[in-house]
Amino acid sequence: MGVFILRKLGAALIVVFLASVLVFGGVRAIPGDPALAYAAEDRDPEVLAAIRDKYGLDDPLPVQYVRWVGLAVQGDLGTDTRGLPVAETIVTRIPLTLELAGLAILIGTVLGIGAGVIAAVRRGKPSDYAATTVALLGLSVPHFWLGLLMILVFAVNLGWLPASGYVPFREDPVENLKHMLMPAIVLGAGLSAVLMRQMRSAMLESLGADYVRTARAKGLSEWTVVGKHALRNSLITVTTVIGLQLGALISGAVVTEQIFGIAGFGRLTVDSIAQRDYALLQGVVLVVAVGYVVVNLLVDVAYSLINPRIRVGGGST
Amino acid sequence: MSYVEATPLSARAHRRRILRRRFLRRPAAVASLVVVVGSILGAALAPSIAPYSPDATDFNALLAGPSREHLMGTDDLGRDTFSRVIWGARASIQAGFFATVLAMVIAVPIGLVAGYYRGWLDTVIARITDVLLAFPFLILAVGLAAIFGPSLLNATLALGIAAVPPLVRIARGEALALREEDYVRAAVANGANDAVIVGRHILPNMASTLLVQATLTIPAAIIGEAVLSFLGLGVQPPTPSWGVMLNAAQPYLNEAPSLAVYPGLAIVVVALAFNLLGDGLRDVFDPKTQR
Repeated sequence: MGVFILRKLGAALIVVFLASVLVFGGVRAIPGDPALAYAAEDRDPEVLAAIRDKYGLDDPLPVQYVRWVGLAVQGDLGTDTRGLPVAETIVTRIPLTLELAGLAILIGTVLGIGAGVIAAVRRGKPSDYAATTVALLGLSVPHFWLGLLMILVFAVNLGWLPASGYVPFREDPVENLKHMLMPAIVLGAGLSAVLMRQMRSAMLESLGADYVRTARAKGLSEWTVVGKHALRNSLITVTTVIGLQLGALISGAVVTEQIFGIAGFGRLTVDSIAQRDYALLQGVVLVVAVGYVVVNLLVDVAYSLINPRIRVGGGST
Repeated sequence: MSYVEATPLSARAHRRRILRRRFLRRPAAVASLVVVVGSILGAALAPSIAPYSPDATDFNALLAGPSREHLMGTDDLGRDTFSRVIWGARASIQAGFFATVLAMVIAVPIGLVAGYYRGWLDTVIARITDVLLAFPFLILAVGLAAIFGPSLLNATLALGIAAVPPLVRIARGEALALREEDYVRAAVANGANDAVIVGRHILPNMASTLLVQATLTIPAAIIGEAVLSFLGLGVQPPTPSWGVMLNAAQPYLNEAPSLAVYPGLAIVVVALAFNLLGDGLRDVFDPKTQR
């Protein structure tokens, strides 16, 4: 077990290193002079030279890279064009996105697992077709359109929920949830569609397995058979799917926050691109890559704990 | 004595006939193919189908609801939404197809080389793919589009490159599996060189997998184009694109909700059709995976 985790950790570290090189190089490739971005309106050559000197923009790229990584490891991601520390900005924005993503995962899992189980148990009945069709639609509906439609119906027409904005949970929990409900549903919709399809096929497989027949033969109630035996064995799928869907969740958060005017991490990404804010952008993208790798690592480990067979055969890519 | 000469069917023609029959037995796949062909034709023939020019303004009907003159209503400049949706198909279909072709052209040779030759090159390629897969598809596309600058061509390039990593992984996996097949060993024993083995034995045998993946990459790229254009990183106004139209609809949700409905509906219909077609093709090529 220890060796398995160490090997996964080593692979993750390599990925993080290469990702940081890629982020650094990619941000440098964006057209536009970073000194001009820092200088804002001031085009005085002397000011620009001072800025270049201060941020070491004339140093060779490898030197700049090593300096950036050295500071990043200590939690210092530099300052953005407004002179604010990047790490601090990111730390203040992340909780919003985590709340959004957490609620989305909650909604997506409850809906996805529920619909998947019902569809599998009632295979071939109208409820199965209904769930399967809705899931298929959910896969093809882009986040931002679903968001616009929900605003149209629930905010503009019915006036039940606010169309945009954010209220911190500590200030007013009810308002916070009211503001977060629509974005979380929008973000969770795609996840629930994917989960529903996976759950349905996993459940169908479990329901046809020998241990389920044995459980039925023992005279256990249908509820126990489905809930305890079939469902538990299908849940392994859920862990993997959530790990795999994380990327979609991150990109979805960018778009969802944009539509609902939530100043979270996704919004920060778009803003940093729009403002050509080098330090901010490379900090943001680095955090995305590291977060993605870390969560996938956790999923791998969790998965190997649930299913020991992975440890033996897995590890190779 | 006479006999009827049976037309000798080559193995390939026979297989094609079986595949066609399997495909035609799936109503969802056939219907989605019709929608896909229809949307391609619609995009190609936009100038003759669309009732108005996408830029024609009608100041007597600003933000009008659906009517006989304007089937889907008009926008804030009095432009006909129906015509703009038809013209918008061009950006979507173009981005969807060319991004997918670009991704295939880059990914397949890389995956083939890695999977067929193995060795250190494979290790390097597999690691780089892992790194790129650490960036979600749309995040990668957004980043690349920011580097390239906003335009349809650049958005297509960004989406195409962003779609490369998963395709490399699939092509590599297929090549890894196929190189162990008996017919490949037989070819090696016969003294065939690598080009013949890869070109004649491996590539044709992974073609169906690649075709299915391509059909599923197209809708991802179509939605990607809409997202990039929605964020201002793709097609620029006044050129019609479904993403641009949805972005422009945001301030008018109160007065003209139809502005936000139809372009999105177009995205869903086209993306759904491609997804269903991909699912159908997968079932046709590999009946084992049928649900």
